[in-house]
This record gives sequence, structure tokens and C-alpha cells, in this order.
Amino acid sequence: MRPSLPHRRPRLAPGGRVRLRDTAFGLASVLILFAPRTALATDAEVTSDTAAQFYDVRSPTGENVLNRRRLTTTLAVSAYNLLDAPAGDPSAPTLSFRARFRYDADFGVGSGAVDPTNFGSFVPGTSQGMVDMMYAYVEGRRFLHGWLGFRLGRQYVTDALGWWSFDGGQVTVTTPFLVKAEAYGGFEQRGGMPLSTSRFEGDGVWRGDRSNFDPSLAPAFQPAALAPAFGVALESTGLTWIHGRLTYRRVYDTGASNVTEFASGTYAPAAYDGARISSEKIGYAMDANFYTFGGVKAGIVYDLYSAEMTNLYATVDAYAGKKVTISADYDYYVPTYDADSIWNFFAGEPMNDAGLRANVNVTDRLSVSGGGHVRLFEVQTGPIDPANVGTYPPYTNYAPGQSVYPTNGHPFDEGGNLSARWRTGETLVTLRGSGNWGGEGDRAGADIAAQRVFDTRYVASVRTGVWQWNDKLEPDRSTTSFNYVLGLGYRFAPRSQALVEWENDMNGLVGQRYRLMLWLTLAVTK
Amino acid sequence: MRSVFSRLLSGGRGGTQGVVLTLLAFLVILAVVPVALAEAPAGALHGLAPLPDDQKVPHTLLPPGSLDPDEGPSDVIFPQQHITLRFNHAKHLAASMGLTCKTCHAAAYRSASAQDVLLPKPTTCDSCHSTEHDNLQAVKPGDDEKGQCAFCHLGYKTSDGNTVAALDMPRANLVFDHKSHVGRNIGCAQCHGPIEKLELATRDQLPRMLGCFHCHQMADSASQGSAKSACDTCHFRGDSKGGPTRIKTMFASGTLQPPQWLHNAEHTPDFLERHKLVAADDSAFCANCHTEDFCTDCHDGRVRPRSIHPNDYLNMHPVEARMEPQKCQSCHQEQSFCLGCHQRVGVAESSPTNAKDSGRFHPAKSIWSDPPMRAGSHGFEAERNLNQCVSCHTERDCVACHGALGVGAGFNPHRAGFLGGCETQMRRNPRPCYVCHEPGDAVLAQCR
Repeated sequence: MRPSLPHRRPRLAPGGRVRLRDTAFGLASVLILFAPRTALATDAEVTSDTAAQFYDVRSPTGENVLNRRRLTTTLAVSAYNLLDAPAGDPSAPTLSFRARFRYDADFGVGSGAVDPTNFGSFVPGTSQGMVDMMYAYVEGRRFLHGWLGFRLGRQYVTDALGWWSFDGGQVTVTTPFLVKAEAYGGFEQRGGMPLSTSRFEGDGVWRGDRSNFDPSLAPAFQPAALAPAFGVALESTGLTWIHGRLTYRRVYDTGASNVTEFASGTYAPAAYDGARISSEKIGYAMDANFYTFGGVKAGIVYDLYSAEMTNLYATVDAYAGKKVTISADYDYYVPTYDADSIWNFFAGEPMNDAGLRANVNVTDRLSVSGGGHVRLFEVQTGPIDPANVGTYPPYTNYAPGQSVYPTNGHPFDEGGNLSARWRTGETLVTLRGSGNWGGEGDRAGADIAAQRVFDTRYVASVRTGVWQWNDKLEPDRSTTSFNYVLGLGYRFAPRSQALVEWENDMNGLVGQRYRLMLWLTLAVTK
Repeated sequence: MRSVFSRLLSGGRGGTQGVVLTLLAFLVILAVVPVALAEAPAGALHGLAPLPDDQKVPHTLLPPGSLDPDEGPSDVIFPQQHITLRFNHAKHLAASMGLTCKTCHAAAYRSASAQDVLLPKPTTCDSCHSTEHDNLQAVKPGDDEKGQCAFCHLGYKTSDGNTVAALDMPRANLVFDHKSHVGRNIGCAQCHGPIEKLELATRDQLPRMLGCFHCHQMADSASQGSAKSACDTCHFRGDSKGGPTRIKTMFASGTLQPPQWLHNAEHTPDFLERHKLVAADDSAFCANCHTEDFCTDCHDGRVRPRSIHPNDYLNMHPVEARMEPQKCQSCHQEQSFCLGCHQRVGVAESSPTNAKDSGRFHPAKSIWSDPPMRAGSHGFEAERNLNQCVSCHTERDCVACHGALGVGAGFNPHRAGFLGGCETQMRRNPRPCYVCHEPGDAVLAQCR
């Protein structure tokens, strides 16, 4: 034991060094005072995925049209159990933070493509190296005895309305009555905004950051602006044999949008400004399982802006024993676009798809799935609406009562697929084959891939495939392709590995092409 | 050997000598048989399987939730066991014996973790079998047949001394609190089935997940705080590909995956094609095991996933895009991802002038644009699959001809019945109307 020192009162003067030391001492005291008495059992995780790719893009005539020298890397940081909940208590409230950033660069993009003053090469919206924040949110779960959950930040919503991202807040109230309610609001993630991509906005509008543009340049390229959005959902919870989610979402377009897209000034006004609907949809998806017999899944989406059902799907599964599932599928789909887009008003017709499929677990290691389907693409075969013809002089190309297309010509496309998987602890072999035949083209082929991990560290992989396609609109674009990929890697931790892949594609149109890929996956967890 | 014995028994060549030899042989047999009986119990052996002679256990005797036919519980959750004991539950639980489950498995009534050892201690057997297991380094057998080591320990031989075959009963990869279940008056049979009608309890008597769901159907906010159906109520979290908060799926005994009957989310080889059906309905179910990263790697990916797009896809994608349009949009925004690349390679009409020419994408003008309209005409193809147009054209390309004024002087692109809904659309967002029509255009009056 060290002898105790006589207490001395610190002298406050003279000199700044003493004051600085005292200040530091006081600050440290405050930090100690407010520091947690015990260390939190917080889990932290840092992950990163990096892919470098080197390849060329060639035109169907074999000319090299693009050099791609790509580097895509992500960095994700997460912290869990920020409330230091007791381990193994599934009822305890939890607080966590997750964020992931991405850098996506193509060093093959010439400087002219991103230079608005280089009219001959400039491609609006192109970036040589884009950084985006894929998600970053704080999430709380099971607060107030499990009733309350929330998320704050950039986050995803996945349901019948698709896969969507927004910046804002979401609150979930889970009741004991087998229903939970959800409400969220914020701004849709849009391309051209800081740290954002266009992946999640409605399609049909060429949009992005044109802050450095001459207004007369690329008038069809619309300026990005904030897109307020909100949504609500009702979802069943608890029951495991039946589940449903009813969801509604509305998104607004704001800011000016250029409607005069020709330098001639034919149209006026030059821009339309103001808050307006971007999309408004309501959807429902459900599934029910009758454990020993089978199940049913279905969904529907109604577009309140275009006032039509845009998606309807249903699947019925029959369990013919534990090893065999036989299913029937139906899918109705009609494309819709952002309400700023003119294509909502074009005669895009629905597609109907019906199919049968089966899965057989031949052994514990081998499973085989296969199925076939027919697809009906509709076109407007009846007479055009007389009310819409002849009321405006230029519409002389359609005569009242005239059939737009006398017949579909080829009402059905057909297709099928066959997949198989064989796996042991360290080996995975997969087969994936498919074929589709129709009036616009045919495509058929198969890939077989194998991966084996030796001594839990050394990774070897091979993939090869043969594909044949006929382009019936451009018959000279038809050919057969043979290709293979060889990979070697080293796994230095269960979730961290480095991998090198060599790809060689060859077809009769463009000849031999090569791609080198370098992968690095890292995960560190505390 | 048989001939020697027959000669001995029949007297053989030397009368008296044969009788003596026969008696000696008889004495040897008398001496050897008890030893043999001690090492291998006489009569039909019980307790080697759930039912005598390893008969198939009827469905009614299996744990609740067993399917018919039943293939046992999950190997991943309940790893394979190696049982080196024989035990007859039916006999021990018979009314005449006066024993209950708790007599031997008292620890289960106190256990809060599936990692606890719930088998009875060897000393539990001592009071009835007259054995002494106090010192496992020097176990003393009992006096009678039931007290012999080989009576319970399979394969035991006297020459093994104090060593018996090891019992391998791995812990369940599960979160489970026996105490709280017992506290809610849940009997053993509600999870394990009627053990009292069976002999040896094996993995087949361990609970089935489907049986858990007979009770576990409650939401997170269930006021009782019990019987929740959330995955982490029973399954471990952490240490798998999903990171610390997702359900642990990788075990030495295998990979945990949803069973066929749970949302029909069995990850079959074609699950990639149909996973939308599960995710669109209950994405939180997927999120039990997968993080967003798992989804984004494909749905917002910048690196081609080969399991979806095979090699040489750049050359074949136009054909697939025409045939399966909705699939492209599930991962790609056409007016940025598709159009941007098409502009750079010179396919798009809006490509910069210096872009290299990839050649004409569409059929010859005589088919594509000139009358008569037919399959192969651009209008026919657009109606059939408008998405393929949007992946390459800006709206300016279409307005050039379809606008009410200008070059094309108004080739009407609207579908039949368009006027029926245009009022609502124009009221909520008139912007697209003004791209083709001037605000004062008389025809717009039909939509006002």
C-alpha cells in the first residue's frame, strides 16, 4: 500500500498552465461523474465489401464501346444493445444503430462524360465516383412492454408496394390484439440529392442533379428536388399461420419541372412548378399456411393516381409430403411510373403470367425445383375509343372504329426453369437453367456452379454456362454463348475473405471477352 | 465341434469316460451362464428404443406438432445423439412404481436454460438398483441382476472395469426455460408427448417447432409476456452471417432454414424466383436472419450477381428485357441505371454525339415506324412492354412525334378509355399533360 500524501490545495495563480491543468482536472472529474458505472454489453460491428472489376463492353458488332474499371466498396458500422439489455431476454427493449456507406467509381468514365461544357460527350447524371449513404438509422424495439418500436434516419420499407427508401421517421405500435400499426413520414430517397441514388424513386423521369447545368442543356433531364412522403400500414402479428399487411403510401414531387424539352420553344410554359403527386398506392399482401396441406399467398396493388390495379399475384402451394411442394402461380402486372412522367398516359398494356412448379427434396443434400409458365402480353386489339378520336384535328392517324391492331399475333410466350442444389458442409453445387420463347425473342441456357472450402480457409469456385438467344426483332443479334469463371480465395475469418475471379465469355457476335474481379469482404465484431 | 459333443453325449467309444466328460461339460455350462446373464440380461431386452424391437412409433405417441409421416425434430436444433443407456420409461412411470417425471428430472423443474443438464444424476438410480454411483471413479454394482452395470450401460463387459461407453447428448441449440413452462402448468407431455407409453426417450421425443406454435402465437406486446411467436423467443441471436442481432443460423450440426410449412419460405433452389411472395408480405420475417445488406447486394447492387444474371449477360439482356419487364424494375431504375449506360454506349437516341455507335437497336424503319401497324411496329411493342422503351428513351424522344404540336403533330398515344380517368390525373399532377399539350389546348378541356 502506498503511503497517503498530505492533502494540498491546488494553487490557482499565477500562470495559465495551472489553470489549464485545473480545467483538465475538472473536465475529467465531470466525465468520470457521468460515465457509466459498468461497461455496456454493446455489440459493435464493422463490415466492408469491396469489388474491383476490369472489363470491356462491346457492341453487337464487336466494337469496344466502353472500358469499365470499376471499384465498388461499402463500409458499414453498427452498434447494438445500446441499452445494455440483459442477455437472452427477448422481451427487453433494444436500441441499435446501423449505417452503411458506398463508394461506386468507374475509372473508365472519361472526364468528358461528366463535364457539362463538353457537349459532345456529356451524359447527364453520370458520375465517376459516387458516394451514397445506403442506410443510417437508429432503431428502437420493444419499448413500453413491447408496444412501441421506432426508426429514425435513412431506412427501407419493404412490402407489397415494393422496396423503397426514405429519410425520416417510422413508428410502430404493436398491440396484444394480433395487429400492429405503422406510420412513417419523411422524404423519398432521390437521385441527385446528397448521398442518394435514384434506385428508389418512381420510374419514368430522367432526373438528377443539374445544379451546374446551363438551363438549355439536356432539358429532358429534370432537376432533383425534395420529395415529401408518408405512409401507413396495418399488419397482423403474432400468429404464425396467417399474416397480412395492408399498406398505403403517398409521395409528392416538388420544385420546378421542365416541360419545354425542345429548344424551338414550341411549347409554353417552360416549366411547371409546385407540389404535386408523385405516386399514391395502396397494397395488400397475405399468406396463410395450413401446415400439413399447403398454403396460399396473394397480393394486390392499386395505383390511386392512375386509378387502376397495377399488380395482382397469387400462389397456391400443396405439400405433397415433407419433401415435395407443388405450386400454381398467377401474376398480373401493368407498368406505372412517377406521376411526373408522360408514360403513365401511354397505352402500356398488362401482362398476365400463369405457371406451375414443383420442388422436390430428393435427399437432405439434394433439392430440385422446376416449373413452366405461359405469359400473355396484351395489346390494344379493339377499336380505339371514338370519344378520343377526331376531337382534335391532328388525331387523324386513327380513324373512328379502326382496330389499332387486328390481332395480338402471338398471344403467349412460354417458358420454364430448372434449378438444383447439392450441398454438404463445405461444398455447394448449383444448377440454374431457364428457357423463354416468344414472338420478340427466345433465350435458353443453363449455368452450373460449384464452390468448395478446403480446411475452412481455402475457397475454390468454378462456374460455367451455355446460353443461346434469338433476337426476333433483330435476327442478326442472335448467337450462342459459352462462358466460365474460375475463382480462388482465402477465408481468414468466418465472414472475411479475399477472392480473385477470372471470367471468360465467348460468343459469335463479339468474340472473346475477359473480366477480372477482385473481392474483399471484411467483418469485425466486438 | 458338434460331432465331438454328440459323441460325448452318446457315450462315444469309452462309456464311463464319456459320462464324466459330459458331466464336466455340464458343470462348465452351469458356471459360465450366470456370468453371461450378468453381462447380457436374459429375456427380451426393453428400453433400447421407444418401442420394443424398434417398432415404428405411432403418430399419436409422438410429440405434439409432429408431421405424419414424421422425420424427427430438426438436426440443427437437436444435434444427433449417441445414447449408450437402455431405459424403459413405460416401466418406471407405471402406476405401480409410483414414480413421476420429476422423480428423475427434477432439474428440469428448476432449469432456465436449454444448456442445463437435465438427465438424472447416476445416484438417482442407486436407491432402487442398489448400486453406488457416489464415486464415479469406483462405481459399485448392485447385488442383483438390475444392479449390474451391463443392465443399463449398453455394451458393458466385466472386463471394462469401471468404464462405460460415453453418452453423447449435445445441448439443444435453443433458448428454452423449462421452469417458466412448468410454472404455467404446462405438463411434460405437452412438448414431449406421452413418454409414459414409451420405453427409451430419443431425439424423436424432443419437441417439434410446430408444436411450440400451438401456444406461441402471441405478439411482442402480449401483456402476459409469454408465448410470443418472435423468432428470438426460442432461437439464438448472433454469430452468423447476419451479424450480432440476427438469428444464429450456422451451427456445427447444420444451417438453420425455415421449414416448408412456415410461410412456405423453405429456401428451395428456386427461392430466388419467388422470394418476393414472402418479402412483400412479411419482410420482418426475413429480417430475423438477413440484414438489409443481404437484400441490397442484389436489389441495389452495383456488382452483377451471377446467380441472377449469368455470364455474358451484357449481350443477352435485351432479349430478356423484352420478355420479362417487371423483373428489371425490381432492381433497376430504368431512367437512370439503364438509360445512363445506354447513353454512354451510344444505343440511346439521347446519347452524346461523341459516344461510340453501337448500331441500330430497332428493326428497319419500314417495319418499326411505317404503316401498317403490326407486330414489330414500335407502337405494338410499346403497348406490349412499355418498360423496354423507358429503359432507353427520354420522354423527349416520344414527345417529338406524340406531342400535340411539333414534328409529329399529335399521334395519339393514349389508350382506349383514357378520357375516363384523365380528370383525376390532371387535377393531381398536370405536369405530364403540359409536356404534350399547351395549357390552353382545347383538348385538355375534356380532362378538366
